[in-house]
Amino acid sequence: MGGHKVHGVLRAAIAGSLAIVLVMGIAACGSSSTSSGTGTATVLMGTPPDSLDPGLGATTQSYEATWLAYTGLVTYAHAEGEAGTKLIAGLAQTLPTVTNGGKTYTFTLRKGLVYSNGAPVKASDFTHAIERAIKLGWTNKSFLTENIVGAEAFDSGKASSISGILTNNATGKIAIQLVAPYGPFLNVLAFPAAGLVPGGTPMKSLANEPPPGVGPYEIQSVVPNKSFAMVRNPHWSEEAIPGIPAGHVNVNVKIVSNNQTEAEQVLDNSADVFDYNDTIPPTLLTQVESQAKERYAKEPTVSGEYFFLNTKEAPFSNPLAREAVTYALNRQALQRLDSGMLDPACFFLPAGMPGHPSGKCPYGEPTAEPNIAKAKELVRQAGLQGTPVTVWGGSRAPHKEFVDYYASMLNAIGFKASEKIVADAQYYQTIGNISNKVQTGWLSYSQDFPNPIDFYQLLDAKSISPQENHNQSQVDDPHIQSELAALGPVPSSQLSTVVGRWQALDEYTAKKAYMAVFGYDEVPKFFSNKINFKAAVFHPVYGNDWSTLELK
Amino acid sequence: MRTLLRNRVASAFAALFVAIVVLCLLAPVYAKDIAHTGPNTNHITETVSVGGKRVDVVSPQGVPIGPTWKARFLLGADSNGRDVAVRLLYGGRNSLEIAAIATLITMLLAIVLGTLAGYTRGLTDGVLSRLFDLVWAYPAVLLGVALGVALAVGGLDLGLFTLHSGSLLLPAFVIGIVCFPYVAKPLRAEALSLREREFVDAARAMGVSPARVMVEEILPNLASTIVVFVPLMVANAILLEAALSYLGAGVQSPNPSWGTMLADGIRLIPGAIHLVLVPGLMLVLCVLSVNVCADAVRDALDPKSTVRGRL
Repeated sequence: MGGHKVHGVLRAAIAGSLAIVLVMGIAACGSSSTSSGTGTATVLMGTPPDSLDPGLGATTQSYEATWLAYTGLVTYAHAEGEAGTKLIAGLAQTLPTVTNGGKTYTFTLRKGLVYSNGAPVKASDFTHAIERAIKLGWTNKSFLTENIVGAEAFDSGKASSISGILTNNATGKIAIQLVAPYGPFLNVLAFPAAGLVPGGTPMKSLANEPPPGVGPYEIQSVVPNKSFAMVRNPHWSEEAIPGIPAGHVNVNVKIVSNNQTEAEQVLDNSADVFDYNDTIPPTLLTQVESQAKERYAKEPTVSGEYFFLNTKEAPFSNPLAREAVTYALNRQALQRLDSGMLDPACFFLPAGMPGHPSGKCPYGEPTAEPNIAKAKELVRQAGLQGTPVTVWGGSRAPHKEFVDYYASMLNAIGFKASEKIVADAQYYQTIGNISNKVQTGWLSYSQDFPNPIDFYQLLDAKSISPQENHNQSQVDDPHIQSELAALGPVPSSQLSTVVGRWQALDEYTAKKAYMAVFGYDEVPKFFSNKINFKAAVFHPVYGNDWSTLELK
Repeated sequence: MRTLLRNRVASAFAALFVAIVVLCLLAPVYAKDIAHTGPNTNHITETVSVGGKRVDVVSPQGVPIGPTWKARFLLGADSNGRDVAVRLLYGGRNSLEIAAIATLITMLLAIVLGTLAGYTRGLTDGVLSRLFDLVWAYPAVLLGVALGVALAVGGLDLGLFTLHSGSLLLPAFVIGIVCFPYVAKPLRAEALSLREREFVDAARAMGVSPARVMVEEILPNLASTIVVFVPLMVANAILLEAALSYLGAGVQSPNPSWGTMLADGIRLIPGAIHLVLVPGLMLVLCVLSVNVCADAVRDALDPKSTVRGRL
């Protein structure tokens, strides 16, 4: 009996201890996953990144990942809206001193920086990162080669290194010489391609095994076109760079090319983040808006939708014809063609871009009914009734639908419109060939960086070229040219001082009707119910900021 | 003809095909007097009365209205707020017109080149047969897409005639070129066999010129084969046109065809399923009716057929 009693006490004690351990364990687990929101989130992407090597990647899908793993000397604030366009010091101690009439940028590296593999960061690594981006053929490398002294010679093989970048590993000083003052140069340095990588990183694509970087995350387990993982950088807490948060969760990125499947997976919570670059199919959008309204929002982007009007070809060489188009545009119709993901507008610079005007639209408010009668009258007045117009457009939805509407509208106001639809992959190349004499067509433009000069290259006479023409309206306006010459060199960090002048220029552009602006794109921010929706930042440059994802 | 008429199923399908053709030809009448809208007229922000309530033709999310069973938007609207019934009829007109012209091109090329190759043999046959093989070697749709896309922007300028990029003749020309070896090869084989027959030898012995022998002796004996091929090629051309237009290499926007209507509607499945069901159904009915008629013609012309008139 006694023995039995002892065993009973022992069993009770063991059971009690186990129970306490179990309860403590559960409590511990619970706290780690709920109070700090840690864990793993599954992010879906409709299109794989072009490359996860920072020296090569140039698509939004690539930047969305690489800006969190490859911080440059400067970067953007992790904030929504206009606050997110603010440049902050990244690996540099402060924003640079700009001297020599805007041609010399001098930085000092923060002390004690280490890569995700634990290796120390050196000032000379910056030169290596820039040279690597040029040698690997980063799509936007012209931003570097056209602006940094000696970069062009390095690119063409005439020099073994870039003479315009001087570094001192002992002091951490980095001095960059520019060919000429270039206002958005700091924005160029904020690209992940200018993010630092170790000096010995091979001059070849490391897309499947991205090199170490400095940032809240490191990219691992890359399965090309299928998946990759963003794992929290174990060394990040040592960096303590103000304004750059450490991530809360690890992120598994999966490529799902079917938008319907992608949206359904997020709707039924089997995945956590919908790719903002993708469109929720219109038929599913109604369901998402009704069933998941607390985890769905339309986010504005700094990208515009336009119909360009070639000022060198009839009939749009006549200002009255251009005005007629802007009067007749039914922007609400175009909004519906874009599944409601369009903010109807009339100004060339999108909302959210410094310099976007706050005044009234010159040819009727974008949400008002179009003035077809006035447009017809202008076409008649100009003697352009029955003028043949070929409208060019891309083949993907809703681009083709935009053009179908536009051609129908041009016919309604008196022109004789026909369409030329070109596969999206060849579209810009085709309309960029001046010998095709394109009269008008659809055009979409998204910011490379938050500086209005980026958009105004589309109206800069210097952009007109026989092949790969970027100025589709072929605008060569002396006022625009003189303003661009004055405003272009203003450094992005001083943009606030010239915002009024940019606004005045954009109002002038709207009055001239060089482009029939119809709206600014909106994108879906759509998460599963496991994600803290309000805490997640939608960044104006890089989209969903994965470093702000938290699990509930 | 009597045999054909005795085949009730074939007669029913022939009547169906004729009905489709007549309806499509009446498209402008339907558009003007019944629907009161054109095939390319957009009504995106308009509303329509359904069951006493005003309903958006296209919702703010971009989903178009389904069939209303009224004169306007009888079969619903597409994403641009265009009347699907009107576009269906105009699309049918375009599809049938292209099929007819393409079949004409196919048959003309096949008859001329097939007969020439089979009758002359030797070098001419060698060259022409390799040409047939060359075109045959490419999958018809791929070749059609390649030609269609290449010509879609700049059109076709052959000096003597020019086809503009939006012209319906362009897809007809592409389909005609792509399909002709499918008829030319069997015609060549038959001409090859016919040239050895006694009546051809007799004509040659009488000093009749080769061209006349081909026209007067060979061609009449190819007639039954040609007659069987015509409806088959029409059905094939309708399908190929739909495929090319679906892929953007056929009828150019905003002109409708059943293929472009399918392409426009596919992204709105399942919410606006009428956009693919309606042109898809018309395509099936049209091709089925032509194929059944083709089978009936073949059976009627084939003396060995045991299923003649029992379809």
